[in-house]
Amino acid sequence: QESPLNLGQKYTIAEIIVTGDTNFSEATIVTFSGLRKGEVIAIPGERISEALKKLWGSNLFSNIDIYLTKTEGDQAYLEISLQDLPELNDVEIRGVKKGKKEALIKDNKLNKGVKVTENLITTTKNYLTNKYRKDGFYNTKVTVTTTPVIDSIEKSRVNMLVNIEKNDKVKIKNIDFIGNEKLSDKKLRKAMKHTKQKNFLRFLKRSKYVKDNYKEDLVSVIDKYKENGYRDARVIADSISNNDDGTLSIAVNIEEGEKYTFGKIAFVGNTIFTDQQLSSMLGIEQGDTYNGVELKKRIADDSRPDAQDITNLYQDSGYLFSTINPVEVSADGNVIDMEIRISEGKPAYFNNVTVVGNDKTNDRVIYRELRTRPGQLYSKTAVVRTVRELGQLGFFDAQQLSPNFKNANPNEGTLDMEYSVVEKGSSQIELQGGYGGGGFIGTLGLSFNNFAIKDIFKGEAYKPVPTGDGQSLALRLQASRFYQTYSFSFTEPWMGGKRPIQFSTSLSHTMQFLYNPRTRDADKSKSFNITGITVGLAKRLTQPDDYFTLSQAISFQHYDLQNYNTGLFTFGNGYSNNLAYTIGLSRNNTHTDPIYPTGGSSFSVTAKVSPPFSLLNNVDYTALKDERAGLNPTDPDDYARMGEIDQERYKWLEFYKVKFKGDWYTKVVDKLVIKSGIEFGFLGAYNNDRGVIPFERFFVGGDGLGNYSLDGRESIAMRGYPNQSLSSQDGGTIYNKFSLELRYPITLGAQAKIFALGFMEGGSSYDNFKDYNPFNLKRSAGVGLRIFMPAFGLLGIDFGHGFDALPGQSEKNGWETHFIIGQQF
Amino acid sequence: CSEYQKALKSEDIATKFKMGTELYDDGKFSKANKLFAQIVPQYRGKPQAEKLMFMYSNSFYQMKDYYLAGYQFERFESQYPKSEKAEEALFLSAKSFYMLSPVYSKEQKETVTAIEKLQLFINKFPESEYLPQANKLIQELDYKLERKDFEIAKLYNKIANFESADYEASIKAFDNFLLDYPGTSFREEAMYYRFDSAYRLGINSVEYKREDRLNTAIKYYNAFQKAYPESEFSSEAEKMNAELQTAIQHYTIKS
Repeated sequence: QESPLNLGQKYTIAEIIVTGDTNFSEATIVTFSGLRKGEVIAIPGERISEALKKLWGSNLFSNIDIYLTKTEGDQAYLEISLQDLPELNDVEIRGVKKGKKEALIKDNKLNKGVKVTENLITTTKNYLTNKYRKDGFYNTKVTVTTTPVIDSIEKSRVNMLVNIEKNDKVKIKNIDFIGNEKLSDKKLRKAMKHTKQKNFLRFLKRSKYVKDNYKEDLVSVIDKYKENGYRDARVIADSISNNDDGTLSIAVNIEEGEKYTFGKIAFVGNTIFTDQQLSSMLGIEQGDTYNGVELKKRIADDSRPDAQDITNLYQDSGYLFSTINPVEVSADGNVIDMEIRISEGKPAYFNNVTVVGNDKTNDRVIYRELRTRPGQLYSKTAVVRTVRELGQLGFFDAQQLSPNFKNANPNEGTLDMEYSVVEKGSSQIELQGGYGGGGFIGTLGLSFNNFAIKDIFKGEAYKPVPTGDGQSLALRLQASRFYQTYSFSFTEPWMGGKRPIQFSTSLSHTMQFLYNPRTRDADKSKSFNITGITVGLAKRLTQPDDYFTLSQAISFQHYDLQNYNTGLFTFGNGYSNNLAYTIGLSRNNTHTDPIYPTGGSSFSVTAKVSPPFSLLNNVDYTALKDERAGLNPTDPDDYARMGEIDQERYKWLEFYKVKFKGDWYTKVVDKLVIKSGIEFGFLGAYNNDRGVIPFERFFVGGDGLGNYSLDGRESIAMRGYPNQSLSSQDGGTIYNKFSLELRYPITLGAQAKIFALGFMEGGSSYDNFKDYNPFNLKRSAGVGLRIFMPAFGLLGIDFGHGFDALPGQSEKNGWETHFIIGQQF
Repeated sequence: CSEYQKALKSEDIATKFKMGTELYDDGKFSKANKLFAQIVPQYRGKPQAEKLMFMYSNSFYQMKDYYLAGYQFERFESQYPKSEKAEEALFLSAKSFYMLSPVYSKEQKETVTAIEKLQLFINKFPESEYLPQANKLIQELDYKLERKDFEIAKLYNKIANFESADYEASIKAFDNFLLDYPGTSFREEAMYYRFDSAYRLGINSVEYKREDRLNTAIKYYNAFQKAYPESEFSSEAEKMNAELQTAIQHYTIKS
């Protein structure tokens, strides 16, 4: 038997020559074709067609032929004739704006030097046609023509002309429905999400005709019927006609069918949940309008992984292998009886749990955060929460975190879990210089968020810094002519590696010099130095729930004045020490985006107290107080004595400070969120004769930036008023603030999150408790905008109107503009 | 302008080859590598290519660029399987992958690759002079994988106290570990810590699961005791076992 392929006679190839217009050497082409001199082949035969295929496949030639020029006995002489494909020389695009051309060239890879194949021309044409059709230019025509470059000596080249005729945008004049009685035209038009009638009031979504979207929308129309019990509804016909004015008209002919209702709903196969539990989760009762879409959603809502549906009810109890199928058992008289058939399967337990992709972070930093551990019952919620919490560590790209189910074994009831992570850079270097505060300011900041302090003496760990233990380390140096600040901080999230107890410490040193009016320079002999150290522990609590954190810290600050007579203190030479213990309880369950929370609340209560020194040191502060009251500050001798007395009072600062802060986030509709907040702070003294210290005070007003400057002061934001304007010059000892903010997001993409806000707030500060009146508030209202970009942090601007007068004035304060950097209101 | 710079800019590939070889012999691998990189395409298919490719691959290895060294050596071996250097090249290729293997506490993708490559080398050249070294490297890498899983299981034991006293995770992880690495050098420790986890789970258990858990713990003690009667953990384990025995009596008397 002989197949047609073997029909050819056998020949030995005596010679292969290459003809045609090509720049490739003969040897190259012959080698590429795969044919060899001396080879015995059948002509015609498979080898020849293979050679053709290979040459075509190179995408370098056109007009490829292989000829048998002559035969001598069993010797065959072959000729390969081909032409080089032309290279693209120049592209001209007509019919679009100049700025768009480059993008189009890039999208279609029309770079100089590419081989112009038929395929390239066709795909370019199709791509462009579809692109503009998608934007509503239904009548787009694209032509691509090529012309050879005449003066090409070496290679054949062509110029390409792409002509795009977008024509007018096709709008839809009207969409008519025929045959609809139960649902109005308007309702059905609304169901069409992408295809809209022309309407000048609707400017967010323009009217355009895109075929794919239109087909989708027809399905939505039918879904709308199904949601209302018309499960037989269908589109009988639809037509699109062109109008004279270039618009389209759409007519859709619908057959509605009859309305159905749910009959009995029975559960079959459920053993761990009762019928009652399941039917309350289902939320559909006998007699309800038949709604297939809703039924499906109540059983398994694909749009939300954490939805409250029957599937998740099982998934969260370990029943990974459960399946749930709704089946219609009868449809008598438009009443549909349902049976929800459940196959529960075995409960699934985690076997191996692994993490891959951590080429920087050490295992234990990740594994200790896992909420799914070997031997535990499978729970979907635990998986979702693990992924979320791994993302919150900040070491991995949250978008690329994925839980991979492996080796799921329904017979054994086991599964393996693999969390795939992708490391991201979590170190930041800040180096900046600029003018401010009367001179050049240089800043060098380094912060490493996944540091490994145990490796700092290991040379090979520097790539470029030791990483992987989840610690954070920050160094910051700032210097100008008038001051220098050095700070260092370190945080270990799991002290000792056993419990999630966060240990943090920070050191800082600030030197401030007085301005010398004669030399117009810093006077190094007049200085105010502050040195501080803080050591703190924070512990995640499990009671009352695991959103609580208890934190404690001990801090010490030493203030040292050398010849620093500014009126800040009555003494210019002296010192002061601030030793305090801080304890705080906070709870934060805001979700889900930390930049734009849409729900939950956060609150914190803190108390910062110093030891009661006056009980121990036997100084008679009453006498000192009486003596000070009798002195005259304008008399130099008396003033010096006052300095001495104050030095005695502030040697060791004695105070207690209590603060409360709470924020609530409530979703109103869609993405509109109300944030309501309340704040309160009180600074007091144990010994009233010794008095309330001039440090650690509250300054209300303005943007609230510049927290914790020199004297431990706290800036409290209060928009609509100048910075720190609502407190007396020395600062208040008590303050409160109430605010209400309405937020709406413009975009919440990964690149940038932008939201607009409107606010109303009221707050004020008081010098002592006697004056305190929580309802005597300075009020303001205004609007603002926030932009968050990962590289820049949070930036914002607020325009606030102060309705009340500043202290000492009678007119209302009026408009103020605030710029916000890095801080959240 | 040095001779090296001249050679770098020269058009003559023979000059580059000569200069590169000299530098290579002098141990100046980085410079030699640059020259070789320029001429590798031109020498493709020529008789000198074999020598050139080996030197080129080895220069990467010497420069500690193990990613490229591994790849280039492997290519060399597949291109010149008959070469007298083929065996050395394949070994160095595998060793390059070994060099890429990170510390045990990070992802071990490279470790697994290195073991595969070394095993491939052993299969191909079972008589090789590098065999003892290859076996040693494999052992080292195996140990790394064992240590990783062991440390994770131990971590579960260490952090279990938090929240839910979840010693089950540790027990399960040690079970899997002992199953996956029957001949591991961590066997003794693993069996001890598995018992330790079970002991803690049993002693601190809620009442209705307590008896079962105590029994499990005793079972693990017996397994440990039988396998390692003279362990350094023995005295500690005995103490814990005694405690378990006292606790379990409560149930045996009742029933």
